Amino acid sequence: MIEKDRVVLYLTIAALACAVLFPLVTGLNVYYLTVLIIMVIFIIFASAWNFLTYSGQGSLGHAAFFGIGGYISTLIAVKSGLTPYLTIFIGGAVAAVVGLFIGIICVRMKEWFLAMVTFGFAVIIQVLVASQFSSVTGGWDGVAAPPLISNTVPNYLVYEYYSILLIAVVVILLFRTILNSKIGLAFSAIRENELEARAAGIDPVRYKLLAFMVSAYFAGLAGALEIHYLGYVTPEIFGVDISFWPIIYSISGGLGTLAGPIIGTIVITLLWDGLQSLGLTYGRFIIIGVILVLVVIFLPRGLISLPEEIKKRAPKWRGRFNKLLQK
Amino acid sequence: MEIGLDIFLQVMVWGLYAGCIYILLATGLNLIFGVMKVVNFAHGQLLMIGAYVTFSFFVLTGFNPYVLLAASIPILIVIGVSIERLCFRPILGTGKLNEIFISIGLIYILENVAALVWTDEWKTIRSPFEEVSITIGSMKIPIDYIIIIVTTVLILIGLYIFLKKSRLGLAVRATSQNRKAAMLVGINVERMDMLSFGIGAGLAGAAGTLWVVSGQVFNPYMGSVPAVKAFAIVIIGGLGSIPGAIIGGLILGIAENFTVLTIGGAWKDAVAFLILIIVLIIKPNGLFGEKAE
Repeated sequence: MIEKDRVVLYLTIAALACAVLFPLVTGLNVYYLTVLIIMVIFIIFASAWNFLTYSGQGSLGHAAFFGIGGYISTLIAVKSGLTPYLTIFIGGAVAAVVGLFIGIICVRMKEWFLAMVTFGFAVIIQVLVASQFSSVTGGWDGVAAPPLISNTVPNYLVYEYYSILLIAVVVILLFRTILNSKIGLAFSAIRENELEARAAGIDPVRYKLLAFMVSAYFAGLAGALEIHYLGYVTPEIFGVDISFWPIIYSISGGLGTLAGPIIGTIVITLLWDGLQSLGLTYGRFIIIGVILVLVVIFLPRGLISLPEEIKKRAPKWRGRFNKLLQK
Repeated sequence: MEIGLDIFLQVMVWGLYAGCIYILLATGLNLIFGVMKVVNFAHGQLLMIGAYVTFSFFVLTGFNPYVLLAASIPILIVIGVSIERLCFRPILGTGKLNEIFISIGLIYILENVAALVWTDEWKTIRSPFEEVSITIGSMKIPIDYIIIIVTTVLILIGLYIFLKKSRLGLAVRATSQNRKAAMLVGINVERMDMLSFGIGAGLAGAAGTLWVVSGQVFNPYMGSVPAVKAFAIVIIGGLGSIPGAIIGGLILGIAENFTVLTIGGAWKDAVAFLILIIVLIIKPNGLFGEKAE
């Protein structure tokens, strides 16, 4: 077991070193930087979504929190002139409060209801932001968001990238600490059997709400980062796509593991950009959909379990292969 | 604003008509849930496919769009059965979240296949009876509304007779009540899964045809809003309850139209969600829901 822990540690350090060195090696190439920034932001978002599943809950509408974080942070930054590096945390906090509200409604519900309510919430909030609150939000035209670092600074993208990477590392370490603590134990107890958890003196409602708030907070934070990076925000941010991405990333990587959403985000994002350069506008969505269905059916623990699965199945395949040769 | 009796009745009729499409969608969802204990989150996309099937046949043949129910329902049944066989059966019983993930994959596949085939522009067709309406008292009701309401009622009666009177319907109900016991008395429950998913998809196809006929616009991405409303109805009426779906659909249709009349059109889509939250706070299992496990 210790052997395995060490391998994981080395791999983590190697991955981090790659993330830090990559822009330098590629000579601060702007295209690579933009891909990397979006990737890291979505790693935060997917990890936040995945955090919720530890407590046995799920959400089909995390775009709501992503978008709320983005809108609130932008509006506050515009009105007050504060640097986005401060307002993103306020955006996250508001998302967390909304998350608490949704959590209170959902906490007694079964998975299906939870999924329906969260899904509906994202769709409805899009309608409201675009129409009812259009005096503040600019309706479908959206509002311009101040950038994280002014683009008059030379190489501003590099600084943005490293600051976002730092936030991502801190967030993931924080998730790790929470999940390794008593809270994490309580989450798994609730996930496995809520009744037994209650019998052991764990209050499922409190922990579920906590998970919802933490998840919504960091989803909001990721949304705020994305918006300040892009420079504008429109109601499209509440779209179904944005809700589905963190799910797709987490599932394809491996649900309920810290590394899963990270690996899933990297693999799927690269695949996505690759398919885009092939000019498959609709085809890439279909391919991603097919991959998702195949992963859920054949690789339920995600890409992260691929080495294990291969090891398990390799003897069988070798046997078949030998049999073929003998024929 | 003063609301007289005639306006009240008028809004009731509008609500009834608007509710029809949602009722068909929600009934399909509930039927599938009852038998398989699976929620198909890609149900709105089946409605969208139904709308496009109707549209294509209308452009090709020029038949009266109501007749095209005879095309959209069978085609959607075939699609539904294939989806059940290929996607939902392998994951049945593996974990409650998996079906949701499969649905997400399906949403991507269906929406973008539709976009590939029919492009992603908004489309609409005109009903041949657009100009015709009948007057009852002070009310003027377009004949389309009446045909849609009658069609929905006929479909629901057909479903009722199938479920209550036929042997196959009996088997479907038995599977829905107790899967293991149904298996023990020799019912092929997997065939029942296929059947219920097919019927559910067929109902979504019918809803798609009615959507097109009623002159509403559609594009490949329009499925999620009607799906959200169907979910709201399912929750209001209780998961798995078909009478609940009908009553929930009527409540929603009428509430939506009263909202348009009193507060304004922009809130029309939000009202479903508000009702949903209120019901869930008062009765977490829905108005007619089964007791929690």
